[in-house]
Amino acid sequence: MINSKHTSSSQKKLQILLPVLVLAGVILLWIIITYTNLFPAYALPTPGAVLKSFKEEFESGRLMNDIIASLWRVAVGFVLSATLGIPAGLWLGQHLYARQACVPMLNFFRFLSPLAWIPFAILWFHIGDKPAVFLIFMATFFPLALATMSAVATIPSIYFKVAKDYNYKGIELLTKVTFPSILPQIITALRVSYGIAWVVIVAAEMVGCQDGLGYGIWDARNGLRLDSAVCYMIVIGVLGMGIDRLLAQLTKLPNVRWGYER
Amino acid sequence: MSDKKTVSLALSNVSHSYGTTSVLQTLNLQVKNGEVVVLVGPSGCGKTTILNLLSGHLQPSTGRVQRTGNIRTVYQHDGLFPWLTVEENIAMGLRSVSDTAQREKEKQDLVELIHLRGFENHYPHQLSGGMRQRVELARALAGQSDILLMDEPFSALDYQTRLRMRLELVRILEQRPRTVVFVTHDIEEAAQLADRVLVLSSRPATVCRELEILTPRPRDLTGSTVIETMKTILMELGLQH
Amino acid sequence: MKFTFGKLMLGIAVVLTTLGLLRYKPWKKNSGVTARDVIHEGVNKKATRELTVGYLPVTCHLTCPVTDFASKTTQTNTNFNSRVFSDFPTVVSALEAKQVQATFMIVPLAMKLREQGVPVKICYLGHRDGSEVIVGKNSRIRSLKDLKGKKMAIPSLYSNQNFVIHKMMDDFGMQPNDIEFIILPPPDMPTSLAAGAIDAYFVGEPFCAKAELDGYGKVLYYARDIWPNFISCALVVHEDLIKQNPDVVQDLVRGIAASGAWAETHRVEAAKLVSPYFRQDEKVLNYVLTSDPKRVSYVQLTPTDEDLQQIEYQGIKLKLLSKKIPMYELIDRKFVPNEIIPAPIDEASIPNILPAGKK
Repeated sequence: MINSKHTSSSQKKLQILLPVLVLAGVILLWIIITYTNLFPAYALPTPGAVLKSFKEEFESGRLMNDIIASLWRVAVGFVLSATLGIPAGLWLGQHLYARQACVPMLNFFRFLSPLAWIPFAILWFHIGDKPAVFLIFMATFFPLALATMSAVATIPSIYFKVAKDYNYKGIELLTKVTFPSILPQIITALRVSYGIAWVVIVAAEMVGCQDGLGYGIWDARNGLRLDSAVCYMIVIGVLGMGIDRLLAQLTKLPNVRWGYER
Repeated sequence: MSDKKTVSLALSNVSHSYGTTSVLQTLNLQVKNGEVVVLVGPSGCGKTTILNLLSGHLQPSTGRVQRTGNIRTVYQHDGLFPWLTVEENIAMGLRSVSDTAQREKEKQDLVELIHLRGFENHYPHQLSGGMRQRVELARALAGQSDILLMDEPFSALDYQTRLRMRLELVRILEQRPRTVVFVTHDIEEAAQLADRVLVLSSRPATVCRELEILTPRPRDLTGSTVIETMKTILMELGLQH
Repeated sequence: MKFTFGKLMLGIAVVLTTLGLLRYKPWKKNSGVTARDVIHEGVNKKATRELTVGYLPVTCHLTCPVTDFASKTTQTNTNFNSRVFSDFPTVVSALEAKQVQATFMIVPLAMKLREQGVPVKICYLGHRDGSEVIVGKNSRIRSLKDLKGKKMAIPSLYSNQNFVIHKMMDDFGMQPNDIEFIILPPPDMPTSLAAGAIDAYFVGEPFCAKAELDGYGKVLYYARDIWPNFISCALVVHEDLIKQNPDVVQDLVRGIAASGAWAETHRVEAAKLVSPYFRQDEKVLNYVLTSDPKRVSYVQLTPTDEDLQQIEYQGIKLKLLSKKIPMYELIDRKFVPNEIIPAPIDEASIPNILPAGKK
């Protein structure tokens, strides 16, 4: 018992240590490449320059502004698609004929890259937050609706039998039985589609926007400032990872835990 | 709790078929108030269909189902809502009790009854199979329940746990008597628990033997009553001569 | 903690409100302006009107941020906010939606817009010259003829660079398909040249200077050698603004003209002033503005019929423009002041910005 506890704590240390080592290795490689001039300076900025531009962007307030802009767009687009997509999925999951009728269309749109909508996003919503929100919506609505739908369609029928025995009806049946029984799958779907949203926002902001992290990269490129572009790339990656960790915390909540431990 | 006198459960001339497959053929079944009826039969003979008809989850193709009183079913497994704790699952059965204090007391009593004090805030996936079935039983017993339908409730458990659960069920029914229809393929179970055993034929199911057991519960597994009953059932099923 | 529907809703509401507040900052009066727009805060308290003017970070649009700066630090009646865009399609979209009513834009694109029924007028020009044909430093290309069968990048079909190079090929007796043209975003051109993906490019500054400074490109032709008084971009104003607020347009054109006159004689300071607006290395801008007076000039910026007719003629010939628009419909010269006084910008008020992160 004691022995196994010991190994688990040293395993935990290893879990932290290994990624840190890999990270340090990558940075070291980067430093070596830039200082040996393996690539010319215009093709790969040095870590020092990136650090400096990070300080510059941060102090001018641009970086914060861009982070907030991107987060806001993702949040609005995401909440919008969740509030429409999850109910749509619930409804489709409960109606076989509706499901058979709509699934091919939903799949069609799911496989249509949201970036294909860019021309229309700009045409319909001009520039600013709206086209980006629209693109996030288009990117996340279909996977969310489809995932919810298949989750509902596969709820064990025993839950509904039990619910009938205990008199759950109507809205109570929905919120106390159907919804909690698919919650683990919904959380997974949210994580997956958040990942899509974060990838899309960067691309979406390269056109039709005046700020945001994607625009930051575009702008840095226009300004011939690859160091600043790399700084934005790092921010995008770190933020994306961080928010995913946060969403992962949802799976640790006790009343959804069952969905991941079977 | 509703007046016990009004409790009744009966199938009269019920037939049922899924498509062209006939599962039940003119079946008659009367369950008396407070009686434990055990249905035994070969697997796939339509035992579960009978329970579904009794509970109202299914409507019979022909014939009549008579039912008064509140019915709850205890399932083989996975009948608990996995997103609710032990306490919350039990509280499901108390939804019609409006007084909070009474509800709380009843809940505590039930947890006590199934010997799961200390596990109130555990989730089903954190419990053993036997514990889960006890929780399900407690939930079915809670509040306004008159009739328990038990669909092979112990068949997913290991043998020893099954033996222990039978004793538990006897003890619990002693304290909270209910009208019970118990479906099983385990003839030991039938012999130990039943007031009346109905042996069903294979599909389409009809009652081919009715056995009344008058010996009071708990019954010793190796006692003569149980042994005799088992012999009779086995013969009826064509497994012993 | 347990997951309940209520808590979920509450969490979402909190996140959305926080982000919304941070995004729109309702406690700030000037909430429409984001940190990206505000580069300098000034002392001018006299301005009672405001106008947002669009531009791209190219030297052709340099007078726009200069006017922004001047309107904040000197006594003007209108406060001009310059708003940076990264590409022309976005500018067009913003103009159509009237999110900006005045902007700098490549001239043929303005003609195309007019042709498509967007009521815009050219009120002034950005600068003269300011474009070069760049080839690899060690290439053997000595004249346009050597580019036969090679790849050349241009910024847009509707750029005057495209028009001019075709005119030049005509003059050299070359066929239109003798050179393979590739449309590239200007920032990609220097790197594409360095990587050998293209053999030459023709674009506005500072993307030419970049290749020279980084040591892999050289100038083959200055625009003025091909087409004297070369025009790349113009100040384009929506007719609605001209009708509703002629005073503001008057201020704008006067301000742009004054900024041009100032920049012409204060080139070092102009590079310093503009680099944080453009988010570009001051060194590159400085090089563009000071290395050779042939590169750019900020005088003589009143659009003439002759200038634009020439462009229009070439556009129609290339079948990029389809109908001849009368010059009086396209140009509005009434706001150009008779006497252009350089903007009274105090050099000391230009803040020192850290040199950009390049060695």
